[in-house]
Amino acid sequence: MGTLKRNRLVVVAAALVLAPSLVWGAGFALFEHGNRGMAMGGAMTAIADDPSALFWNPAGLALQADKGTQVQFGVTLISASQDFSGEGPYPGDGYFASQKDQVFFPPHFYLVYPVNDRIVLGFGMNTPFGLGTWWEDDFAGRYISKRVDIKRVDMNPTIGFKLTDRVTFGVGIIYAQGSIDLTPGLGVVNPFTQQLTDVGQVHLYAELSENDGWGWDAGLHFDLGKGFEAGILYRSQVDIDYEGYGSFTQFPTGYPEFDAAVGSIIPFGENVPVRTSISFPDFFSIGMAWTAEQFTVSAQYGWMGWATFKELPIEFVGHPELSGTVPELYKNVSQYRLGLEYRMDESWAFRGGLLYDDTPQPAESMSPLLGDGDRKGISVGIGWKYKSITIDVADMYLFFDSRSTHGRSIDGYEGRYETSANLFGVTFTYTF
Amino acid sequence: MKQRMTLLALVVLLAALPIQAASVDTGLADFSTYVAIGDSLTAGFASGGLAMEYQEGSYPALIARQLGIEDFQQPLVSMPGIPPVLILEHLVPNPVIVRSSDTPGMPINAELPRPYNNMGVPGANLYDLLNTTGDIMNLLAGNTDNVMHDLILRDGVHTQLEQAIGLHPTFATMWIGANDILGAAVYATPVEGVTMTPVDTFAAMYPQALGALIEYTGADVVVITIPYPTVIPFVTTIKPYITLPDGTHVPLIGSNGPLTEDCYVTLGASQLLAQGIGIPAELGGTGQPLPEDLQLVGGQVVPGVVLRPEEVQAINERVDAFNQVIADTAAAMGAHVLDINPFLERVKNGFFIYGGFQLSTKFLLGGVFSYDGVHPQKVGYALVANEVINLINEAYRADIPQVNLYEILVADAYDEEASGASAMSADPARVFTDAAMQALEKAFPLLGPLNSERGVEAGGLEGANPKLEPRH
Repeated sequence: MGTLKRNRLVVVAAALVLAPSLVWGAGFALFEHGNRGMAMGGAMTAIADDPSALFWNPAGLALQADKGTQVQFGVTLISASQDFSGEGPYPGDGYFASQKDQVFFPPHFYLVYPVNDRIVLGFGMNTPFGLGTWWEDDFAGRYISKRVDIKRVDMNPTIGFKLTDRVTFGVGIIYAQGSIDLTPGLGVVNPFTQQLTDVGQVHLYAELSENDGWGWDAGLHFDLGKGFEAGILYRSQVDIDYEGYGSFTQFPTGYPEFDAAVGSIIPFGENVPVRTSISFPDFFSIGMAWTAEQFTVSAQYGWMGWATFKELPIEFVGHPELSGTVPELYKNVSQYRLGLEYRMDESWAFRGGLLYDDTPQPAESMSPLLGDGDRKGISVGIGWKYKSITIDVADMYLFFDSRSTHGRSIDGYEGRYETSANLFGVTFTYTF
Repeated sequence: MKQRMTLLALVVLLAALPIQAASVDTGLADFSTYVAIGDSLTAGFASGGLAMEYQEGSYPALIARQLGIEDFQQPLVSMPGIPPVLILEHLVPNPVIVRSSDTPGMPINAELPRPYNNMGVPGANLYDLLNTTGDIMNLLAGNTDNVMHDLILRDGVHTQLEQAIGLHPTFATMWIGANDILGAAVYATPVEGVTMTPVDTFAAMYPQALGALIEYTGADVVVITIPYPTVIPFVTTIKPYITLPDGTHVPLIGSNGPLTEDCYVTLGASQLLAQGIGIPAELGGTGQPLPEDLQLVGGQVVPGVVLRPEEVQAINERVDAFNQVIADTAAAMGAHVLDINPFLERVKNGFFIYGGFQLSTKFLLGGVFSYDGVHPQKVGYALVANEVINLINEAYRADIPQVNLYEILVADAYDEEASGASAMSADPARVFTDAAMQALEKAFPLLGPLNSERGVEAGGLEGANPKLEPRH
C-alpha cells in the first residue's frame, strides 16, 4: 500500500477503550475417599461394607447393621506433576513449563450408626471435586490462569434400609459447599511497544462458607448368592451459584501514561463482586463382586454426566467489559475399575486395583487451568485390624495420556501436557 | 519417581543423538528459491516507514525463515527507516503519534549483487509492477522522486516483475493491487482512474503479470487478494459522531452536511478534530466542516477525510471486481489464491486468540495494525505469514511450522531475544562501489521478451493511473 505522506503529527481524537485480556478456562472429580476403596481401584459399588459406603454406595450402610457405631476418617495426599511443551503458533515449539509442586490432602469423615437391624443412619463428609494447578508467574499461559484452587466439600446425611435379606437400599441428601480461588494475569497491548504486556492480575475468590448447593444420592445392593454381590449408585448433579470477589492488582509497566490509561479502566484496588456458577455432574455406577473364601474380586462401570459443564461464566458485577464466559464443552464419560482383596487372616488384608478413566475434557478446552487426559491407574494397599481399630493404607499411581491440544485450544495456548499423579492415603476406622 | 524420570530423560537423550537437525517437510513444492512480489504489505512497511525492525518481520521473511531458507535477502533500511517510522509520543489525554526522527535511515543491503528475494515496493500498484524501474544512484544523489523503486529495484533498467523473474524462483508469492484502490480510502474519495484503477485496466494487466511470472519461471505461485480498505483502523477508528454524557450522538459536520452514522471518518481527520473542525459550535468546536473529498489547493493535495456509505460501497465493489480478476486469473494459470478478506474478517471478529489474548483490528490496542493505521505491525504480518503457511501446507501437502506468535506478541517473551531486538543498531550508510555496481549489472541480464512487451504496456497504459503527488 502507499507510503502515505501524512502530516508529521497525527493526533487521534478518539477515546480508546483498553481491553484487558481475561480468559476463563477448567474436569476435576476426585474418587479417593476411603483408602480401602482406593487400594481396590475404587471398585467398591458392589462391596461397600464399611463406612466409606457413604461415598461408594449408601446401600452399603444397611450391610453394617450388626457392626455397632463406626467412625472412619482419613486423608489422601495427592501430589501431581504436569509438564507442558509448547506447540505452534503459541507459545511454539521449544517452549516448556512445569507446574509448581503442590500436595493436596482432601480429608474424609464417615459416621455410621445402626438404629436397628434394618435401618442404619450415616453421615459423611468428603471432597468429591477438587482442582488445583499452579504455574510460575511469568509462564506463557499466565493470562489464562497462574493458579487455581476449586473445591467442593459435601456433607451427606444418609439412611440405609435392609429391604429384604438380600437387598439393601440407601438414600442421602447432599449439602455441598464450594470455593473458588483463581488468579489470571491481565494482559493489554502496550501501545508504546505494540506488544502484549502484563498490566496486573486479578484474584478471584469465593469462600467455601458462602456458596452452596444441594443434591442427593441413592444406591441399591444385592446379595446374589454363591458369593456374588451387585451394587448400583446414583449421585445427582449439584449446581452451585457462586458469589465472591475479584480483587485487581496493577503492575507498573515502565510507561506511566499507559499505566494511567489502564488504571482508568480497570478497577485496581477495589473488590469487585463476582458471580459464577458450576454445574457439577451427576454420577452413576454399577458393579459386581465375587467373594470366595479369602478373596474378593470386584469390577465396576461408572458414568459421569460431565456434559453439564458446558461453560464457566464469570461476571464482574457492574463491569460487563471484564466479564466473560469460558467455553468448556465437556462430554459425558465412562470409567472402568477393577479391584482385588486378599484377606490373609483376621488382621491383615492385601489389596490391588486397576482403573481406566476417559477424560471429559475436549482438546479445545485443555488449558493451564486444567490439562486433562485419559488416565490409567494402578493401586495397592494394606488393611490391618486390631480389636476395634482398622487402619487402611493405600497408594495409587495415575498415568495420564500425554495429550496435545492439536492446534484447537480455545485460549490459543497450544501444546502437549504430560501429567502424572500419586495418591497416598491412610484411613482409620473405630468401632464402638 | 525422580530417579525414574532421570533415567527416562537419559534414554530419550540417547535416542535423540543420531537424529540430524530437523528439516522442514515442504511437501510437493520446491521452495529453494522464494521471491515475494508486491507492495508495502510485502515489503514489511509499517508505522509509515520501511524500517529494518519491521522488515525483518515481513510476511515473506517469516515464511522464508519457517521454510529454512537462509539466503533470503531484503532491501533492509536502518532505523528509523525511510521515511522515519511513526512512534506513539503520548497516549493520554489523547494519543499523539509522531515521526520518530527527522533523519531517515539508510539502505544497508543495497550492494547485494542480485535482486532481492523480497521485491515488494511500497507504493507500487499493478502498473508499477509491470512498468516502473528505479535507480539507486538517483536516490543516493539525494533525489526523492522515486524513493522506494530506487531503493529496491536499483539498476535503473528492470521492473519489479523482471527482477523477480530474473531470480528464477521456484516459489513465489504475489500480493499486488492494494494501491489500485487504497488511495480511494486514504483520500476518502473514489475517483475512477485517479484514486482507483479501472477494472478493465486491472483485468488487462493482472494476467500479464502472473502469466509472465509463471511462464518464465515455472514457479509455484500463491497470489493474495486485495483487502477491503474499510477494515483498517485508518478508516474505522474515529466515529462520525460525538457521544454526549447522556449517550446521545451528535453528528460531526462534513462539507456535504452532518455525517450519518454509517459514515467513516479517517484518521486524516484527527488533527482537524483536535482543532475543533467538524465539531458543532455548540459543543465547543469551530462549526467548520471536515473536508469530505480530495481537493487540490495551490497544487497541494488535500485529502478528504469522510467516506459516505455510497463511497464505501464503490470502494468495496471495486475490491470485489479486482479480486474476481485475481481469482479467475489464478484459476486459469494454476496459482493458489489466499483470500485475505475472510482472514481480516476473522481478525476483526476476534478469532485470533493467543495465550488467552484476543487480537483485534482496533487501533493501537488491537495488536495487529501499526501506528499508520493502514499497515500491520509485526503481529499482523506474522498472522499473514501463518495464513500463507497454512495454504502452502494444504496445497502442497507440506508441513511447515507456523510462525511463533509468542515471541512476537508478548513483551519479554524471551528476555534475551527481546533485549537483542531493541538493541538493533542503525548501520551507517553504504555507498555503491564501482565493483558493486558492475556486479549488479551482471546480476540483472536483460530479459528480452519481457522488455519488448513492456513498451507496449507502458504505451497502452500511459496516463491511466496518474500518480498522486506527493507520493512517498
